[in-house]
Amino acid sequence: MLAELINPYYLQVLSFILINIILGVSIYITLSTGQLSLGHAGFMGIGAYASAILTLDYHMPLVVGIVVGAILAGIVGLCIGIPTLRLQGVYLAIATLGFGEVIRVLFINLEGLTKGAVGISSIPHIGRELVKGLQDFGFKASMIGLKNNQLISLSVFLLLLIITLLIIAFFIRQTNSRVGRAFAAIKMDERAAEAMGVNITYYKVLAFAQGAMVAGFAGALFAHVTAYISPADFSYHRAVEILIFAIFGGSEVIWGPIFGAAFLTAMPEILREVNEYRYMIYGVLLVVMMAFRPQGLIDTQMIYKLKQRRKKKGVS
Amino acid sequence: MVLEVRGITKRFGGIQALTDVTFQVGKGEVFGLIGPNGAGKTTMFNIITSMFPPTMGEVIFMGKKLTGLKPHEVTEAGVCRTFQNIRLFPEMTVLENVTVGQHCRTKSGVWSSVFRTGAQKQEEKSIREKALELLRLVGLEELQDTFADNLAYGQQRRLEIARALASDPKLLLLDEPAAGMNESETKDLFDLIQNIKKLGITVLLIEHDMPLVMRICDRLIVLNFGKEIAQGTPEEIKNNPEVIEAYLGREEEEDLA
Repeated sequence: MLAELINPYYLQVLSFILINIILGVSIYITLSTGQLSLGHAGFMGIGAYASAILTLDYHMPLVVGIVVGAILAGIVGLCIGIPTLRLQGVYLAIATLGFGEVIRVLFINLEGLTKGAVGISSIPHIGRELVKGLQDFGFKASMIGLKNNQLISLSVFLLLLIITLLIIAFFIRQTNSRVGRAFAAIKMDERAAEAMGVNITYYKVLAFAQGAMVAGFAGALFAHVTAYISPADFSYHRAVEILIFAIFGGSEVIWGPIFGAAFLTAMPEILREVNEYRYMIYGVLLVVMMAFRPQGLIDTQMIYKLKQRRKKKGVS
Repeated sequence: MVLEVRGITKRFGGIQALTDVTFQVGKGEVFGLIGPNGAGKTTMFNIITSMFPPTMGEVIFMGKKLTGLKPHEVTEAGVCRTFQNIRLFPEMTVLENVTVGQHCRTKSGVWSSVFRTGAQKQEEKSIREKALELLRLVGLEELQDTFADNLAYGQQRRLEIARALASDPKLLLLDEPAAGMNESETKDLFDLIQNIKKLGITVLLIEHDMPLVMRICDRLIVLNFGKEIAQGTPEEIKNNPEVIEAYLGREEEEDLA
């Protein structure tokens, strides 16, 4: 029964949804201080390439590759975040867009390290490594009535689910704290936040580096789930796609980009025919959202109302 | 002396906003900064809080030089302000606005916030309690869960004062707190400033409402076109011919006669 339900293809789609949710969270963190970044595809690429090269060429364990990939992306984020501090809105977007392109061109041209435009293939797969580990403990797929490839997909999905939930919990807690309030204050009025004693330099760089690090983390996971990466995976299209998660879902509360990522990743899978028109739909969505609901589908007011309703129910 | 402003001059390109302004404010005083529109009063506030640097001169606060510090360091040193054109955090609730004011007096970072350590929980609790206490002081306790954006104008002004008080200032800078207020709101504001004074906080006040200024200020400085034209007690200022001229203009009949 269970065996028939577990379809590796659907699990793969669900895994990509989870990775995109992590990317959605990464853009949310940066946006939560009012910084508009189009460089997240670049950070994602740094994480992906770093982890792929470390595990493939230097035979590092997967965990080390992924963690180092994320940290490296965070460090690059720091280096980009500090000089672009003075840039606001569209100027920051242009600067980070340029950064993303530089990174992509580096991936193409550093052939010795990245294998150029061809990309890196046969990257160690998280699922296979996990199942191999389980087998060492004497656990086999057949023991719970599954085929080996089913167990691989299932373990990838479950691992990503846990990681995604932990990341979401991390940032929900951060948002509902002194740090999150400082982020929100900066987003709403930078001068006023400064006058109230918030060190805006520190928090803006922190948010930028955190966003970069989470994007790098998602990129490293991506590399080990697809087992193949190329510079095209981290192009301008990817940066826009990540941004659309936040624009469509909303960037005021963390649930916005999470919903945006889940919906927009699932949509082309459910409606097979529309897949070809994906970028066209993104374009139309951008225009429609900006015209009718610039804050995204899920906004602060909506969450506030939901909370009030729950409170009322609790009382009565 | 709590605050010493020494020879402040500020030029914006060709415009001379302030010329060699010097004054001192003693502990517990309510010190007024008045003058016609464009006299450079808000510019003086921006220089004291290090929003931008003066062209010349320096600001000393309780023996510490503020000039050259970053705005958040000035707040940390104990100087906080309100804004002439209200700058609340519009999409935060009233309570949240006041909690942001306590930022530099609290210290939970990313890790203690995420792991909800005992110290962090304790801190959050005391932040909330203090915020409620300040809302009580300005009479906004009932509205704690309202978005700041939805408050009436006079309430927004009072919330700004509560938010500034949250940073535990020794010196509070109020930029036209009575602007746009009706008579009864102005009276409440008068009581509020009295209460702030009782807390031992020194107040520097920019205000156009002359009856309020004359009643509440211990001393005043009058600026016109960026220059000091008078300094002294409300009585002295009221009878100063230069001040009268700046506010009411020269008496033309006399010239004719």
